[in-house]
Amino acid sequence: MCGIAGIVALEDISARLVQSIRNLEYRGYDSCGIAMLNGSGKIKISKNIGSVEEVCEKENFGRLKGSVGIAHTRWATHGGVTKSNAHPHMSCDNGFSIAHNGIISNHEKLRTRLKNAGHRFRSTTDTEVIVHLVEDWHRKVKSVEKAFVAAMRELDGTYAVILVTGHEPDRIYCARNESPLLIGLGDYVNYIGSDLNAFIDHTKNAVFMEDKEYAIVTHDSCILKRISDGETMSRQVQELMWDSEMAQKGGFPHYMLKEIYEQPQVVHNALDIDPELVEGFARMALEKKTLHITGVGTTFYVSQIGQYYFSRYAGVTPMVISSDEFRFLAQVDKDTAIIAVSQSGETYDTLNALRYGKSHHATTGAIVNVMGSSMARMVDQMILQGSGPEICVISTKAALSQMIILARIAMAAGVMNGRITAKQARGYEAQLRELPAAIENVLNEKSGFIHTIAQQQSHIKHWLFLGRGRYYPVARESALKMKEVSYVHAEGMPSGFLKHGTIALIDENLNSVVFAPPEEEKELYKLTLSSAEEIRARDGYVLGLTFKQKKKEKLPFTEQIVLPKTPPFTAPFLQMVVAQLLSYFTATTLKRNIDRPRSLAKSVTVA
Amino acid sequence: MKAIVLAGGRGASMAPFSSTRPNPMLPVCGSYVIDYTLGMLKAAGVNLANMVVGSHADVIKSHLSHGHPSGMAIHIINQGKQAMIGKAILKAKSRFSPGEHFVLVYADTLTTSNIFSVALQSFGLHNDPVASICHTGSAEKYGAVYLGQDMKITKIIEKPKKKAGLGNYVLSGVFVLPERFFGYLEKARGDMEQALKNLIDKETLRASIWENDWLDMAYPWDILTANRMIMDQWKTAEIHHSVELSETIIKGPVRICQGAEVRAGSVLEGPAFIGPGAFIGHNVLIRPYTCVGANSVIGVGAELKNCALFPGVNVGRLSFIGDSVVGESVDIGAGTMTINRTIDSKPVKVKVGGKIVDTGLEKIGAFIGDKAVIGASNTLAAGVKIDPGVMIPHNCSVHHRC
Repeated sequence: MCGIAGIVALEDISARLVQSIRNLEYRGYDSCGIAMLNGSGKIKISKNIGSVEEVCEKENFGRLKGSVGIAHTRWATHGGVTKSNAHPHMSCDNGFSIAHNGIISNHEKLRTRLKNAGHRFRSTTDTEVIVHLVEDWHRKVKSVEKAFVAAMRELDGTYAVILVTGHEPDRIYCARNESPLLIGLGDYVNYIGSDLNAFIDHTKNAVFMEDKEYAIVTHDSCILKRISDGETMSRQVQELMWDSEMAQKGGFPHYMLKEIYEQPQVVHNALDIDPELVEGFARMALEKKTLHITGVGTTFYVSQIGQYYFSRYAGVTPMVISSDEFRFLAQVDKDTAIIAVSQSGETYDTLNALRYGKSHHATTGAIVNVMGSSMARMVDQMILQGSGPEICVISTKAALSQMIILARIAMAAGVMNGRITAKQARGYEAQLRELPAAIENVLNEKSGFIHTIAQQQSHIKHWLFLGRGRYYPVARESALKMKEVSYVHAEGMPSGFLKHGTIALIDENLNSVVFAPPEEEKELYKLTLSSAEEIRARDGYVLGLTFKQKKKEKLPFTEQIVLPKTPPFTAPFLQMVVAQLLSYFTATTLKRNIDRPRSLAKSVTVA
Repeated sequence: MKAIVLAGGRGASMAPFSSTRPNPMLPVCGSYVIDYTLGMLKAAGVNLANMVVGSHADVIKSHLSHGHPSGMAIHIINQGKQAMIGKAILKAKSRFSPGEHFVLVYADTLTTSNIFSVALQSFGLHNDPVASICHTGSAEKYGAVYLGQDMKITKIIEKPKKKAGLGNYVLSGVFVLPERFFGYLEKARGDMEQALKNLIDKETLRASIWENDWLDMAYPWDILTANRMIMDQWKTAEIHHSVELSETIIKGPVRICQGAEVRAGSVLEGPAFIGPGAFIGHNVLIRPYTCVGANSVIGVGAELKNCALFPGVNVGRLSFIGDSVVGESVDIGAGTMTINRTIDSKPVKVKVGGKIVDTGLEKIGAFIGDKAVIGASNTLAAGVKIDPGVMIPHNCSVHHRC
C-alpha cells in the first residue's frame, strides 16, 4: 500500500503537497518524494528514505516551488527501501515523472523491451517501467494523452498512476485500475489523491474515478475518459461526508478490527515469502550449535510458538528468552545463531539482545515488518513479513504472520535434517494455504457468538488462558491481548500447571478459556480436557475453543466456540484469531481506547 | 440527502401494543421511537424523510401533522395494503432522480447514538452502496452477512438457519443506496433479498460496522429494553422547575417533566422518567428503569419497578407493577399485583402469535393493551398479555397467556 497525491493550481503549492502525503502517511511510511514542475516547465524531483517528516527535513522539500506537482509516500513491495527506489520516478529525458500505487505484474517483460530500446533504468521498482513506457510512446505518437493511454493499455496488474510532464506543464494525467484514486475539486485548484485524506483540508467536493479510467486535470477542469476507447465519461460531483480517521481505517470502526480482518491476506503474504530466504534461516538454525529465538511482549510468545514448531517438526529445541532478559541469561558465542522477531524492527530490548549477540560473534537473523528499520540493517539475514503497516498499538496480523514464518522455517529445517520428508512438508504447506479461507470463515461465522460471550462475560475481572503444547504459547499471547486492549487481568499458562497452585483461585469471579486441540492430537486433547474438568468441578466458568468432532460427545465446558475441522498444524493459529476477537469485543463492550490503549506505545524504543 | 423511512409494518409480534399503533409510534421515555430516528437522521444531514406508512397510518400522520421538532421535512407515502418490504420501498421511487442516493431506514429499530452518520461516512469513503451491519444475540431473524477484508459484503443469507449464519454480523436495517436500486427491486418484483443479491453480484455493497447498542423493537418486552437503553445514557437528575415536590427522596438520574406532582413520602430511584403532568401519590416507590407516561396517576403506596406506563395510565393504590408494559389510558384497580417471575425462576415464556417464545428473561410481568380496565385486587401472571379495551372484573386471577 502506498499513498499518492497531486495538485494543479495557479499559485505555489509546495506546502500543501507535503501536507497531502503527510496525511496519507498511514498508507506507508518507509520513503517518500515529490516532483514539481517549475515555471519553465522543468521537473524537479526530491525524494529519500524515511518518514515524511524526516525526508522533508533531509531534502528540504520547501525549496521546490511550483504550481503543479505530484507526491508519493511508499510502503515497499517491489525493490528495497532505497533513495533511488523512492517515487516519483523520472523518464530518461526528464520530461515525464510518475508516482504509482499498486503492482504491475508484467513489469519484467516491459522492462526488458524498454531496456532493449535504449531506456536507462535507475531503480528496481515495477513503477519505473511506466514512465519509460510513456516516454517511449510519446516519441512515436507525439501526444502526451495518446502516449499515456497507450502505456496504460499495456499495463497488467493494479495501479493508480499520476503523471506530470514538461510537455504540458499545466496539467496532471492520472489513471486507475483496482487501486484507489479520486479527484478533489477546489476554486481554481484541483487535487488528486489515493483517498480523501490527501485534500480534505481544502475541499469536500470530489469525483470518484472508476477502474480503467483516466483523467486530465488542470486547475479549473477535470475530464474523465475510458482507457479502452477514449470515450468521455460523465460523473456527478460528490460532496464528501467524511471522517478522516474513518477513511484511514477503511471504514472499520477500529484499526484493530481492520487488521484482524486483514489476516487472511497477511497469511498469503507470509506464504509467498521466497523459500530461499526461509531456507537461509533454517540453514543458519541448523549450522550453529545453539539457536536462540528472541522477542519481547507479543513477539516473545511468537518466539515460543516457534520453539514448539522447531521442536516438533525439526527435532531442535531452540532457546527462547525474552529479549529484555537476554543479556542476563543467554550464553552466546560464535557457534550461536539468534533469530529476533520485531514488528517495527526498532524494539529497544530486542535490538539490545542482537547487539549483545553480535558483540559475542553470533550469527543473527531478524523477522521484521518494517523495511529499512534498525534491526533490518543490523542483522546478517532478514525476512520482511510483508504484513502491511500495523497501526493499532496491539499487534494482531503482524504476530500471526511472524508465527507462520517461524513455522515455515521450522519445516524447512525439518526437511534439511531429515526429521520430516519433503512430501510431508508440502502437505503442511498445503494446510497453511488453506488457513486464509478458514480464518475468513471464522471471522464471518463466529464473530457473533464471540461477541455475545464477550458481552455476557464483560463483568469478569480475571481470566485464565490455558493450553498445552503449541496451544500454550497461543494461550499466553491471547491473555496478553486481553490485558492490553481491555485492561482486564488475564494470565496465560500451561493447563498442566493449573493444579500446581493456580487452581486455588478458581471461583465464580475467575473465568477460564481453554484452547483444546483437534481430537486427533489424542494425548494433548485428553490432557487439556481434564484441566477443563478440574475447573468445572470447582464451579468455574470455562469457555472452550474447540474443533468440530467426528462424533459429538459432551465436553466439560460452560460454553464453546466450535471451529470447523482443522489440521493440527494450523489449529493454534485459528484459535488465536478467535481469542483476538474475544479481547476486541470485551474491550468494545467496556468502551476501551482500542487502538491506543492507555500506557502503551506501538514500538517500545526505550529501556 | 433524502431518506426513505419504512414505517408501515404490522409488527404482529408486538401485540397487544401493535393493535393500536405501528411500532415506530411506541413511546420510549417521553418520545416515540420515530422521534429518535428522525432526530438522528436530521443530525446526520438528511433533510427530507419520505415516510412509507401502512398499518395504523393515521397514528403516524397525526403525530407528524405539524412537522417534526427536529426540523426534518416529512413526506407521507401510503403503501396501501400490506406489501413486501421491497414493494413498500418502490412506492417512493418517484421521489428520486437518477444519480441520487438515499438513506433507507427500517423504522422499528432504536439506537442511542447516530447509526446514520456512521453509515453515511462509510458511504462517503468509496461512494459505493452501504449496508449497516451489527451483532445481535438472535441472528436468525435477520440477514446474515459475509464480509471481505475491504468491507465488501460478499454474501447475505436471509433469516439463517442452524447450519450457517447464526454467528455472523447481521443487517441492521440502515442502508445508503443509489436511485438505480429501484431498478434492482423492480427486476426482483419487490423481493428485497433478491435485489440486494443482484446488487452484490453486479456492483459493490460495502458494510458499515455498527458497534454501539441496537434494538429491533419486535416483542413487547423490547419496550423495557428500549427504556433501559435511553435511561442508561443519563448521568444527572433533571427536574422541571414547575414540578411540585414535597418530602420526596430522589436517588440517581431521575427525570421529572413539566407539571408533574410528587407527593410526600415517595421514593424515586433513578434512572427513572416521570412524564409531564403525571401525579405520583403519597408513599409511592419508583424503582430503577421505570417510565411513567404523561398525565398518568399513581395511587398511594404503589410500587413500580422496571416498567413502562404509556400516557394516561391510572394505577390504583397499593398495586405492584413490575417488569411490565402498560398501554395508553389503561385503568388498573387498587391492589393489583403483577407477578414478574416463574415459581422456579426459569425464564418466562410468552405466547406470541400462537407460538410460545422464550424471552430468556427471568423477570417478566404483564403486557396490557390500550384502554384495558383491570378491576381491583387482581393478580396477573408472568408473561400475561391483555388485549386493548378488555375489561377484567374485580378479584380475578389472570393466568392464561392471551
